[in-house]
Amino acid sequence: MRRKILALTGVVALLTTAACGGGDAAEKDGLTTLKIGSMPVVDTAALHLGVDQGYFEDLGIELDITNVQGGAEAIPGVVSGDFDIAFSNVTSLIVAREKDLPLKIINNAVASTGKEGKDFGGVVVPEGSSITGAKDLAGKKVAVNTLQNIGDTTVRNSVRKAGGDPEDIEFVEMAFPDMPAAVEKKQVDAAWVVEPFLTMALNDGATEVASNFVDTHESLSVAVYFTSEKFLAENPELAKSFTTAMSESQAYAQSHPEEVRRILTTYTKMDENLIEQIRLPNYPSQKDTESAQVLGELMKEDGLIDSEPNLDELYQ
Amino acid sequence: MTRTANTSPDAAVGAGANRALLGAAGVAGLLVLWEALPRIGAADPRYLPPASEVAITLGGRLGGATFWAAVGDTVAAWALGLAIAFAAAVVLGFLIGSAPRVRAFTTSTVEFLRPIPSVALIPLAILLYGTDIRSTLLLVVYAAFWQIYIQVLYGVADVDPVADQTARCYGLGRMARIRYVVWPSALPYLMTGLRLGAAVALVLTVTAQLVIGSPGLGQEIAVARSSGALDEVYALIVATGALGVLVNTGIRALERRALRWHSSVRGEAL
Repeated sequence: MRRKILALTGVVALLTTAACGGGDAAEKDGLTTLKIGSMPVVDTAALHLGVDQGYFEDLGIELDITNVQGGAEAIPGVVSGDFDIAFSNVTSLIVAREKDLPLKIINNAVASTGKEGKDFGGVVVPEGSSITGAKDLAGKKVAVNTLQNIGDTTVRNSVRKAGGDPEDIEFVEMAFPDMPAAVEKKQVDAAWVVEPFLTMALNDGATEVASNFVDTHESLSVAVYFTSEKFLAENPELAKSFTTAMSESQAYAQSHPEEVRRILTTYTKMDENLIEQIRLPNYPSQKDTESAQVLGELMKEDGLIDSEPNLDELYQ
Repeated sequence: MTRTANTSPDAAVGAGANRALLGAAGVAGLLVLWEALPRIGAADPRYLPPASEVAITLGGRLGGATFWAAVGDTVAAWALGLAIAFAAAVVLGFLIGSAPRVRAFTTSTVEFLRPIPSVALIPLAILLYGTDIRSTLLLVVYAAFWQIYIQVLYGVADVDPVADQTARCYGLGRMARIRYVVWPSALPYLMTGLRLGAAVALVLTVTAQLVIGSPGLGQEIAVARSSGALDEVYALIVATGALGVLVNTGIRALERRALRWHSSVRGEAL
């Protein structure tokens, strides 16, 4: 988080003092290359599947996909023009927009499945824990991948909804890959994990006690694809083509789970058995401002942002 | 025989073979320990897979193009970064080192900049160059430069004053003195700097790829980690270690060639 704040502050400083680098799209073999900042996770399966199916090529676009470690790089990357389009979670973008970074969400990426206990993210506790529901998380030590982000906001909401007091939960920052072991060794009382680590933790004997995304909204948009206002203004046709192809890819991923599992073997290093077991997210084709509104209100309650998010500005 | 070990070729070869044997035994010991810990239950095999399993995973990767592309990216970034740092450090080191006033003037700045850890520059690198190879180079050059620069300064300062005065008496110009007096005295220091810089450059190359996500072994490790593939993570770490050994061996060979005439090498390498 500190890195994120530092990076964001830096971007703001850069924006106010100097002009940004150009994000001009390059043309080659009749195809226009778009630079995409992505992450090698389950969430971006539709993007890779869309390339595989030729949806982008059909519209004259070639994707140059770079793996980044998270929003802390994706957001400055898009602002500076290193990436034309990137992948990030909705919370980070709402925060960035509140800091007046000129970003626009153009496509949905992943959303909650809306099924309690069958979502791609959830809160797990060690075997034999006294915690049996979200309410019991009050006053406990809970691991999230980034403090002050979508994890702690939605977990607090789950606790509140179950009638518990979210105020004195002690959130600790921990990388997702470290969580299954930390839960098993009881270094934390609970952890919010996403796939494939959710399945790994459950296989190791952990128990799922809350579906924090579902509790927030049944179709909660968790992550999205976004670009900069500058790119949109300079390449309106290109952005439109990307949106069309991306929506097609999302629809294809949504209706072909076996294809999603196949494409995961190509850009991640997940074990094939694990890929068969994990729960897939929803890959919606449509943007979902309604669920973002709910998330924004929770963020305001948590003090992540000062005022209601301006979603008309954030969404294209 | 033992008394003249330093000068006898047979003894030198014997000592070299002995050292290699000891080194191999050390590695073997580590591997046995690594294999045993998860097997006897001292470590959880899910989080520390036995050495043999990791070796099989690594063996499988050695046949794939992705692995070698990653190794290529890492070696390219390392070599380029080290070359830039080396060139800059040698030029600046000789210029500033041979001008005592300038050296005194810059010492405090150098001492201020030198301890800044290269990883602290990661946010800056991302802002400036994104995930481009240039952000890796920024970190690598910054870290390796100081290692070499400081050695060059010491080397230049270590020139024997009598030799220098003699050269002056014989009317050697500035360039000639650098070539025949300063360069030979500084060379051993320079090679030490290169060796230190090479190791640091490799560490920073992999770190940058791991944290920033520029292509290479580091990024492969990051992807394996976010896929929960621990076997693969360990296999890639072992590959990175092996690359480090190769780099060190290569630089030492280079050092022996460049300093063939120097007493520190002459004694043992004959």
